[in-house]
Amino acid sequence: MAVERVEGRRRLRGESPSRIAWRVFLRNRVAAAGMVTVAVFFGVALSGLMLTKGDRPILDPREVRLPDKLQPPLSTPNREALPPELRPRLGVYLFGTDELGRDVFARMLEGSFVSLAVGFVAVGIAVAIGLVLGGVAGYYGRVPIGIGRFRPMTVDTLITGLIDVMLSFPSFFLILTVVAILRPSIWNIMIVIGLTSWEGTARFVRAEILSLREQEFVQAAAALGAPGPRVVLRHLIPNSVAPVMVSATLGIAGAILTESGLSFLGFGVPPPDATWGNILADGKRYLFDAPWLTFIPGTAILILVLAFNLFGEGLREAFNPRLRQG
Amino acid sequence: MSVKQLLILAPTFVSLFLLQSYFWVPTFEDQARGDPGRLTRYIQSSIGDASILNPTLSADSASAAINSLVFEGLIDRDMDLSFRGRLAESWRIFEEAYLVVDGSERLPDGTPATPEGLVRHLERARAAKHPSLRLVERIEVEPAEAVTAELEAEPAAPGKPAKVAQVTLRRPPRLKFTLTEVDQDFFARLDRLLGGYITRLDPRRFLDPALPPALRAQAAELIPPAEHNPVIVFQLRRGVRFHDGHEFDSGDVKFTYETILDPKNLSPRVPDFEPVKSVEPQGPYAVRITYKRLFQPGFESWGMGILPEHRLNREALRKEALALGRDPERFSVRDSRFNRSPIGTGPFRFVEWKTDQYVRLTRNEDYWEGPPNFREFYFRIIPDLLTTELTFYAGTTDEYGAQPHQVSRLRDDPRFKYYSGLALGYSYIGYNMRRPVFQDVRVRKALGMAINVQEIIDYVLYGQAEGTTGPYPRQTDFYDPTVAPLPYDPAGALRLLEEAGYRRNAGGWLQKDGKPLAFTLITNSGNEIRSAIMAIAQNAWRRLGVKVETLALEWAVFINERVDKGDFDAVVLGWSMGLDADLYQIFHSSQTGHFQLNFVGYSNPRADDLMVRIRQEYDPGRQVAMARELHRLIAEDQPYTFLYVGKWTQLFDRKIARLVPGPDGTSRYAPIVTTKLGSPKFHFTQWIKVPHPVDFPVHAAN
Amino acid sequence: MLPFLVRTAWKKLWTLFFISIISFGIIHLAPGQPSQIDPLNPRFTPQQLERYRQAFGLDQPLYVQYARFYQQFFTGELRSFKDNQPVFGKIVERTRNSLPLFILGTILIWCYAFPLGIATAVRRNTLFDRSTTVLVFALISIPGFYLAYLAIIFVVQTFQVDVIGLRTFGREGIGPWYAMMDRTWHLVLPSLMGAAAGIAVLSRYVRSQRLAVISADYVRTARSKGLDEDRVLYRHALRNGLLPFVTMLGLLIPGLIGGSVIFETIFAWPGIGRLGYEAILARDYPVVISINFIAAVLTLIGTLVSDLLYMLVDPRIRL
Repeated sequence: MAVERVEGRRRLRGESPSRIAWRVFLRNRVAAAGMVTVAVFFGVALSGLMLTKGDRPILDPREVRLPDKLQPPLSTPNREALPPELRPRLGVYLFGTDELGRDVFARMLEGSFVSLAVGFVAVGIAVAIGLVLGGVAGYYGRVPIGIGRFRPMTVDTLITGLIDVMLSFPSFFLILTVVAILRPSIWNIMIVIGLTSWEGTARFVRAEILSLREQEFVQAAAALGAPGPRVVLRHLIPNSVAPVMVSATLGIAGAILTESGLSFLGFGVPPPDATWGNILADGKRYLFDAPWLTFIPGTAILILVLAFNLFGEGLREAFNPRLRQG
Repeated sequence: MSVKQLLILAPTFVSLFLLQSYFWVPTFEDQARGDPGRLTRYIQSSIGDASILNPTLSADSASAAINSLVFEGLIDRDMDLSFRGRLAESWRIFEEAYLVVDGSERLPDGTPATPEGLVRHLERARAAKHPSLRLVERIEVEPAEAVTAELEAEPAAPGKPAKVAQVTLRRPPRLKFTLTEVDQDFFARLDRLLGGYITRLDPRRFLDPALPPALRAQAAELIPPAEHNPVIVFQLRRGVRFHDGHEFDSGDVKFTYETILDPKNLSPRVPDFEPVKSVEPQGPYAVRITYKRLFQPGFESWGMGILPEHRLNREALRKEALALGRDPERFSVRDSRFNRSPIGTGPFRFVEWKTDQYVRLTRNEDYWEGPPNFREFYFRIIPDLLTTELTFYAGTTDEYGAQPHQVSRLRDDPRFKYYSGLALGYSYIGYNMRRPVFQDVRVRKALGMAINVQEIIDYVLYGQAEGTTGPYPRQTDFYDPTVAPLPYDPAGALRLLEEAGYRRNAGGWLQKDGKPLAFTLITNSGNEIRSAIMAIAQNAWRRLGVKVETLALEWAVFINERVDKGDFDAVVLGWSMGLDADLYQIFHSSQTGHFQLNFVGYSNPRADDLMVRIRQEYDPGRQVAMARELHRLIAEDQPYTFLYVGKWTQLFDRKIARLVPGPDGTSRYAPIVTTKLGSPKFHFTQWIKVPHPVDFPVHAAN
Repeated sequence: MLPFLVRTAWKKLWTLFFISIISFGIIHLAPGQPSQIDPLNPRFTPQQLERYRQAFGLDQPLYVQYARFYQQFFTGELRSFKDNQPVFGKIVERTRNSLPLFILGTILIWCYAFPLGIATAVRRNTLFDRSTTVLVFALISIPGFYLAYLAIIFVVQTFQVDVIGLRTFGREGIGPWYAMMDRTWHLVLPSLMGAAAGIAVLSRYVRSQRLAVISADYVRTARSKGLDEDRVLYRHALRNGLLPFVTMLGLLIPGLIGGSVIFETIFAWPGIGRLGYEAILARDYPVVISINFIAAVLTLIGTLVSDLLYMLVDPRIRL
């Protein structure tokens, strides 16, 4: 059909499949918008890090101004009650203030970096584990393991078994249990989310290697004496970057949501680190009296996660030739 | 039907079916839709579940709320906070005092102090209407007696239990005085009449000289020269039945006391009942309680719910243990199923308890004061505060405790009525007086004067609090209203600190002898009001030139590692208080050890004396006078900066009213009235829901 | 057939063994002696600590503790720290409460996801497709508890009716129809919340299935034979597209427990998820371990069943 013809022509001109996919991706405006949004949020997070960290930050998310508590967005500070050094730098509370009179805008900026960091580190851990376990299962899958002559299983059965085990657990509840027992801390949360979400990557990498191994050129290369793993790796990497990226993108979205869910249950990233999740969860007490305390982080999470999801979905469609059309 | 049609019809049908169900659900205005019985049910919600439905063992507020409806004590407090009889109809408090007779002593007239001699001497004075014997009803002689006790021969060392020695002592004869009233100064006056006889008494004289020296001091304590034994005799209400029909009698009172003291049960109420010497039934309808020593706050603890002996005595427990296949020797009241299906004498009887869902009670038709109007009581567990509020708006919770920031919004809502009152307790900043900095009262005072309490009340608490000046609840008579609050006066504070020798250095920080005035203020994390107070105090003190670090610690670490060990400089905390005048545990200088409550290390001999005398004083007027003096003393010493007393606000559906019997035998609706503390639920058994809100003429309070 | 069954069963047994180890191992995660778990935690009373020691036999080596725990678990002797009731009975009761939510949620997912997925696939790259895509992703992108609060507040403030709990609390002795409708009404919001993510995921899945199928050879053939377009799309395509959903069946169970923790807490729904959450809060380890274990075992059974179904439906598959 039409696609095949187009692809055929492009092939002739020497365009690689990933270039084509990229082109297809960019044509999907929703997905492209998602990518741009994600990029914007990156910028926000980095500027948030620079503006709110340090002893004397430009925007101080920790400054308590009780006379100005629970002020709605865009309100101006109470000049009589506040000494000049406490007044917000912007001259106005862009996103209002919380129950202690802290500037929600500054807190959101600070939280943007921490929230993204939680997502990235957690997914980084998951992808690393997935790559290693999937690679080992794919390449050394047939090696039996056991003690002495008793070798009941192979590496592959062990790892696929492990994947089955992890998939069997209700992951959110498992994360909740582990975080509660280990006590919530930003590192524990990242690690636990990472440790419970590597199965997809591992499965994919394993399948990819298995199919590569069977291909003639790999076997030929092996026959010619080229080291097997290197050949596999060389062909594996270009083939799996995109799918791993898809699952990573969706994974980050999931991790940010998981963190907010944990915060709601009281097991999220503990203060003083602000994340959008815990700003949202803390704000819920004032849902009637200060709706902006939940609306702002809630909307921010919605937009960010939505952007990640649309971006990931666009990537998935672009790199799956069966879905690529018209 | 084609697949396409199915794919469109199925979701449409499901959606319509789900949405139409709305029309069968009652609204807030029309709660009785399809169910008139809703008006006779009361639903109270709680974030947490009850833990143990046994008043002698429970320590949490959820369990207490249920236990107070299922169980009943001998007494409680009425609208004016005076004591009122419940399971007890009346009571009498008097005293039995004992005085050791030491034959080697001489009386003022030179005769040897024999029992007969003493009695003769005292009877003569009584006949002459000597004022020190005014309260004496009877004087008797008790013969000498052998006392057996276990003493600690060697104190316990780590990994080694204490070595115990059994000793038998001979206690000399004693005089027993029966007094019509409790009088803590009885012996002091008697001593004057007897010419210092009591002061000279030394119990070591009565000890066997062969006794090892390590034991002598302990043994001496077993033979106090003079002893006060306050006695309470309760006349019990007749014909009161437990929910299973068994009649309540004095045996149940004794059993409840024994349950608390049985170490197997690990009752948290032991400190209240430890000073009791004996509980003796006098027939089925009277019980005599004798105390080891003067302990006035002990009276209030007889408001403790009474357990049914026949359900929990040794035999019943043994049967239960065997039925459950447990070891009867180790099976205690704490293990009994009773704690999940309690039986008491209160206005409501227990029906069922679904963990994390609800506890359901039904009214006790047999209640001695007449059955409550509500037929059922639900204690509903909703784990989330916000949804609790929403169930209140939907009419499926009848009571809602508003947070300070919500009060102004909800108070004006015409759908609800609200009751508000001052809490029994206060928040404070405590200074560790073991630290040299805080030993100077001027420093403590200055720090207090630098804090604008009004600002805390206005901004942190939305005006839902009032200032306080001392250690007693504001509503009690013990609180001295004449004590002036510490003024907010940063300039005056600075002057005081300069008086105390502090000068500003080049950096603007106060210092004395080259040492800056710097300390750390701590509190527990998770309480945003305390965190806010901490921030305000830090800020206020910084302006004064005091360097303050703040630290919020996790509760367990905060209490166990810092407060209980006295390892802190200053602390933001609160006390919730009872209605008694006893401050011994919080401020007495003997209570400053690890894990004791005077963790700030307050010590003032005059205050110590007052605290001891207050808890020994049974006369309300004298007790109030001493308590007020104590209040003034503590306010002068400022061991704490007393900050404020919080206000609670409770909202109710406006459809709730009282249904009371009228003079002509009919019933009529009446408005809810509140106690002196502002609590509306005193007449809870008269409460009912009416189909539509009734408006009463406005009644003045009281 | 038989060798395959034996092989599968053998594999699942191994999986079960690992599941049991991980479930039990969780409580040993905290550094130091497990008996020292939060000695400072005020929630952990001395009586609880004592029960903890008894229940797990802390002085024994780990494998003995493990064997002992599962022995108690399987003989039904395991009791909750919190209220001393048998753990198994509690879990059964709470699962029964969660079941209507789960069933209605599944119905909603299937009811809405199929038409939505097919409609977007047919109209792909139109405005309808794009806006639905964004909307559907918005459903899974908003923190569930925030969405739930907004929904509850909206309904309660607008209609002044109860939406919290199994039924209008305190309403007794009403007719069966009233009672049924009352319960139905209380199911609506929580099951919708629980289903939102499922609808989003499944409708995307249906969409991509559809897209693949539309271009598949046999559909092209059918179309060229002059068959009605709808018939092609729905009948033919549906049958082949259904297969992968069988696989999904088995993976729904973790969602039943994991996903419901938040919604059941918000809606005060006495289901299995909230049981788990309350148990975590109360450090009620027997319940926590059992829920993790049982949920994993159920999932395992679910995947086994779906494997078998798969094999029956599609005879080409011989694993």
